[in-house]
Amino acid sequence: MPERQQRVQALYEIALTIGGKETLTETADAALAGYLRKLNCSVGGIFRATEDGYTPTATIPADPTGNALLSVGINRLEELSSEELPSHVKPTAGDHCYLFSLPDFGALVIGKQGGEIDTATRSALTPLNQKLAEACRNKLVERQLREQRNRFEAVFDAIPEPIADTVIKDGTEEIIASNTEFDRTFGNTTETPDTAAVPEVGDNSDRNPTQHNRPINTDESDRRITTETTCETVDGSGEFLFRGVPVAGEQAAEYIHLYVDITDQKRREGELQRYERLVENLPIGVYRTTPGPDGEFKLVNQGLVDILEADSKAYFENRPVSEIYADPDERAAFSDRLLEDGTVNDIELEFETAAGNRIWGEVSGIVTETDDGPIFELALQDITTRKERDQQLDVLNRVLRHNLRNALNVIDGNAAMLENELDDNDLRSHVKGIERRVSNLEELSQKASTVRSVFDQGRSTTTACDVQALLMRVAKEFEDRHPEAHVVVDTPEKSLYVNADARLEMSLSELVNNAVVHNNRSTPKVQLMTEMVDRDDETAVEIVITDNGPGIPKHERKAIESGEETPLQHGTGLGLWLVYWAMSLLGGDIHIDDADPGTRIVLRLPQVGADAQSQSDSGTGVAVNSGD
Amino acid sequence: MQVVYSSATGDTLQNELTNLTTQDGVEGLLMLATPSVDITTDSFETTLGSVSVPVCGGLFPQVIVDGEPRTSGLLAIGLPTAPTVTVVSELSEASDDLDASLPAGGSEAAFVFVDAHADADGVGSLIDALFRTYSVGLSVVGGGAGRLNGGGGEPCLFTGDGVLEDAAVMAAVDQPIGIGVRHGWNEVAGPFRVTDADHGTIRELDGEPAFEVYQEAIETNTDAALHREDFFETATAYPFGISRLDGEPIVRDPSAVDDDAISCFGPVPEGEFVTVLAGDPDSLIGAAEQAAETAITRKSIADCAGTLCVFDCISRQLYLEETFLREVEAIDADGWPMVGALTIGEIANDGTGHLDYYNKTAVVAAVSDDA
Repeated sequence: MPERQQRVQALYEIALTIGGKETLTETADAALAGYLRKLNCSVGGIFRATEDGYTPTATIPADPTGNALLSVGINRLEELSSEELPSHVKPTAGDHCYLFSLPDFGALVIGKQGGEIDTATRSALTPLNQKLAEACRNKLVERQLREQRNRFEAVFDAIPEPIADTVIKDGTEEIIASNTEFDRTFGNTTETPDTAAVPEVGDNSDRNPTQHNRPINTDESDRRITTETTCETVDGSGEFLFRGVPVAGEQAAEYIHLYVDITDQKRREGELQRYERLVENLPIGVYRTTPGPDGEFKLVNQGLVDILEADSKAYFENRPVSEIYADPDERAAFSDRLLEDGTVNDIELEFETAAGNRIWGEVSGIVTETDDGPIFELALQDITTRKERDQQLDVLNRVLRHNLRNALNVIDGNAAMLENELDDNDLRSHVKGIERRVSNLEELSQKASTVRSVFDQGRSTTTACDVQALLMRVAKEFEDRHPEAHVVVDTPEKSLYVNADARLEMSLSELVNNAVVHNNRSTPKVQLMTEMVDRDDETAVEIVITDNGPGIPKHERKAIESGEETPLQHGTGLGLWLVYWAMSLLGGDIHIDDADPGTRIVLRLPQVGADAQSQSDSGTGVAVNSGD
Repeated sequence: MQVVYSSATGDTLQNELTNLTTQDGVEGLLMLATPSVDITTDSFETTLGSVSVPVCGGLFPQVIVDGEPRTSGLLAIGLPTAPTVTVVSELSEASDDLDASLPAGGSEAAFVFVDAHADADGVGSLIDALFRTYSVGLSVVGGGAGRLNGGGGEPCLFTGDGVLEDAAVMAAVDQPIGIGVRHGWNEVAGPFRVTDADHGTIRELDGEPAFEVYQEAIETNTDAALHREDFFETATAYPFGISRLDGEPIVRDPSAVDDDAISCFGPVPEGEFVTVLAGDPDSLIGAAEQAAETAITRKSIADCAGTLCVFDCISRQLYLEETFLREVEAIDADGWPMVGALTIGEIANDGTGHLDYYNKTAVVAAVSDDA
């Protein structure tokens, strides 16, 4: 066969191997194999030109570094610019390496051992190389588009919000693709995505959202849509921020729909609004200020306006916080303390209202860090009335404890002298009556001062108290003091602990004293017991005091059980009220029942564990009624 | 390389192979069997399993022992280094991703045998994969195994693990080899463009029924007459050639005609140009002699002692008939023991050019004894 004809055939057959493959690599592989087969060459490679040099797209052999001839060609390729191609290298006798340009793609390297490719054939390869370059470029673009599509699909599916790609066909909008979250939210559309309906979007102002199509922006210049709306979901309905973005292209009626679920956000906004309304209507002042000696109001509620007798919230604008303090210097001290501690509770401060009235306030607050620095979040409670009552109680206490007792002492002393001077028994009995009443009044005066002491101790305590030891000590004390009485302690050997201080001992002494002193039997009997009970998932210790006395009058029990006295329903003294208050402050309670005979009183306190024993305290350090 | 040729079977064959493998310098076996060996028996499989070294081989129409073609018996060739044996199963279904199933490079040479009756495209895919992976980095020789009058579905290959059909086996070795590939067929008609083909079947040439074009080409350019009823007898003297630059055309041997479609051993891609080739005993024998000379003068085996492994096409023997012995004698080189097989299609690259699947071609490999 003539050489020229053979060359034309070979080139034609090479041309057949170019193109028609799925990927860039397959295209390059097939073409390179065709070149080598038809040109009877042994090695070769197709390389893509990049900013960093040439990157192999296909090589034969697969590992080009193991072949000396191809390595020579690759090295030579790196040295040349594209304008210097084609090029020819002859590294050893009989071996040839040919470098061809693949325009706008890269280069083709072919190695032939034991022969060479004639000049005419090499020249004739140029159009084939151009065809190969075009095929590779097309596949490269396809690959880039495919990768871009893959990236888009990955992002599409990774976005945690429902997304759908829709087209409008014949006036109907249909989903052509959707992500997993879309399917989860609005239903699985993967089986028939091309016929799945777009979730209908309603106008929030309408009560029936399914009756409306999704919002359409009628502005032809900008068909983007952003609106809050309600959508039907597989779980019912939800609030969404809907964004519709048109997809540019020949298919003008294609949109990407994004549904941002704002159901929780809406709920939180509603909760926040309710909370703000609650704060606004609280009878305490809630306000936010900047720190510092003066401070600046950032927010005030109506409660603060009312407490400080301002006409409106505007009163606080541009007004230093220190101005509401009766002593503006106290603001600086308060600010320093809050900044140092981070939180303050129940700080009593004196304020001056807009009307110039002095009031007492109890302030609690925290420091909150913001982008603009620390901010004080504060609550102010008007305690002026309480402070005035405290003053009244102080005065009353002084009167009862000091003035009344002094007067009683005088009366008692005079009564004693009078009794000594009287011989008439009837008259002496009258004087005795005066002395008993004076004694009762002295006791009442003493208890009145104890009331103050009970409350001064505050609520609860962390001191563990051994109940068994306490009962034994109280019992012994009363047997010593009242030999005629029989006080029995009946408790388990194992100690039981409760959180209590001297107020528990005071309470027990008060109750045992009542049981002994007001007992009408010749041998007053009092039994002290303990029990463990479970109440409301909590283990409690019950101290049971049982006596054989006449019982507690019903009107006194009712006053204690109801927690208040009325003019028609009141007790005769303070003893039971002391016990009631002490138990309340210690976190416990008191129950009074009839016994046969006598009375059964139960003091119930939460049990604490044995690990609290190290703090055990049998009750000292506070002035209490000894129970006499 | 040490060889054993045996007509024995069963325990006797097993003992002979055991004796061979226990000799120094035998680390693997290349086993070439003739159709007289029933490789489908349990006994043969047991024999394969008993071989203590890697083994790889096939069944061929004839084998060459000490320079003589034999139609019976089994030839076992001891390989001085342990071969890496690889099996490609379901060759007819092979696709472009065969590369991954091939062993890593690093070996000098490989003997590759394929089921000659497997799908031609599968064979082509294997050849392409071998070339893509190794190029000339691995010298490859071998050929198609099977019975000449056989068909698909018969086991014709084996390894130590048993016999195989519709497969390829590959034994990569560390011996350097020199390869010569020539056929001596010359163009007498054409070229004709293959306008309709599938695998190894040509349906149309230049847009006309393939048989008619082929028949006219032969009868116009030669003295022969081509008839459907004795197609193979005539066609074996007039194979197709697929041209390539700077080399002998690749021969495709027509094996049968069905209506107007001509079946060939080996793939004939649609779009290629084919010519009709003819030969004479002198040109074929001369080509075989050149192949041998090329093989033993390759730089890779210079100054080496070794063995000539010949894979010559059975259709050359059918064409040359009694003069085929002259071709074998022409290949025989002083000091080089000659073994081999008459194959149904040949596989080779010559260490410098493209790896191809040939028909009607003499492939001579000079295998060095030194690793």
